[in-house]
Amino acid sequence: MNYTFQFGVAFAELPELLKGAIITFELGILAFWGGALIGLLGAALKTYGTGPLRWLAGAYVVFFTNTPALIQIYFLYFGLPELGIRWSSFTCTLIGLTLNAGAYLTEIMRAGYISVRSTEVEAAETLGMSRWQQIRYVVVPHIAKTIYPALANFFIVILVMGTSIGAIIGVDELTGQAINISTENYRWIEMFVVVAGIYVILTFIASLSLALVGRWAFRVKAKVF
Amino acid sequence: MHHLQVKDLSSAYGPLTVLKGVNFTLAKGETAALIGPSGSGKSTVLRVLMGLNKPTGGEVLIDGAALDYSRPASVRAARERMAIVFQQYNLFQNMSVLRNVTIAPVKIKGRPRKEVEAEAERLLSKVGLADKHHAYPDELSGGQQQRVAIARALALRPQILLLDEVTSALDPELVNEVLDTIRGLAADGMTMLIVSHEMAFVREVATKVVMMDEGLVVEQGPPEQIFGAPKTDRAREFVGKILRH
Repeated sequence: MNYTFQFGVAFAELPELLKGAIITFELGILAFWGGALIGLLGAALKTYGTGPLRWLAGAYVVFFTNTPALIQIYFLYFGLPELGIRWSSFTCTLIGLTLNAGAYLTEIMRAGYISVRSTEVEAAETLGMSRWQQIRYVVVPHIAKTIYPALANFFIVILVMGTSIGAIIGVDELTGQAINISTENYRWIEMFVVVAGIYVILTFIASLSLALVGRWAFRVKAKVF
Repeated sequence: MHHLQVKDLSSAYGPLTVLKGVNFTLAKGETAALIGPSGSGKSTVLRVLMGLNKPTGGEVLIDGAALDYSRPASVRAARERMAIVFQQYNLFQNMSVLRNVTIAPVKIKGRPRKEVEAEAERLLSKVGLADKHHAYPDELSGGQQQRVAIARALALRPQILLLDEVTSALDPELVNEVLDTIRGLAADGMTMLIVSHEMAFVREVATKVVMMDEGLVVEQGPPEQIFGAPKTDRAREFVGKILRH
């Protein structure tokens, strides 16, 4: 092997890579929260909805969980312009990831809805709680605690695996930045070793934060690694 | 005047009629026990009193005033006067012991938090859990959870306490700690309606025993009568069976 590693070149690009990491975080957080809102609604429709609404929520989940996120993003980025709708690569990635996350989160949140113990709700009722107080003090905290570990894992999946898809259509998130820089300095190995390290650090920060929040808010004993 | 009067109370689960005209009364400070075979409707009586099941007929009167369970205001009034403790404790798993006890008085009745917490601490000491304020339900034994549930119900300052088979879900060695708590309440003059299968305990604590079968009251009277000289054949048969064990 006749290759001289020059990690100094890759480290010199750290400021640019960190700009990409910030976009990665933005995409991850926005797609997750957007998906969580869709999931909350989708799960409510699948659990309590009737007729067409329930069917619609089911069809949405089946479609988005059985097709790759890349296909969905390609459809938005390359397909929609044919119909006169043009969105930036960031917007297409964000919408694609959000819709994809929404489908998975619908199923995660549905598990939360189903797990609510009717006996606790009954106890709340006999203590004189109104419907709203039952939801506020008993139902939502229970759902949140039940699904928190799954939600936290899913956030990591979107952050690491989901957002990097954006690089394919030119989003300058962490992977995209690494590709841009590597095409100029040809230091692919060094760049992607450093980028992999940054992803590990990002994931560690996210996991640690989520674990701490989980312990503090829901007494969930989550492991970071 | 009776403190609680149940007149011809009936109730149904869908097509199944569970209560077929139940009658009994409860005086202030009295401890009445509802006994009878499984499925006789004992727990349903308590559920109807708390507004969890709708009555299909009859009347419930507290201090002579009838409760109309079809009106939310009336159901609220019932829940202000009575509190229930369930067989499975039904504590809020996401809250500490102290918060389980204080949430209703603070958030629903709007009483000052400091005052309620001081009272909750007294109640928890009374049920022998002074050192468990900050524990969560899943860190407690069944007997401890049930005593928290009793403290939670008492924190509402009910006039009548309903206890629904509160020892049935407990390991035998934990039963006594809960029964001791109830003995203490009876000695303090708390008006209680107890559904129980602990016949020795009923005999000791109850001032009145109401025996039910198939949705009806078969016989009622002091424990000496029900357990010593029951007047009806059904009561005699039931008591005969349970006293053999």
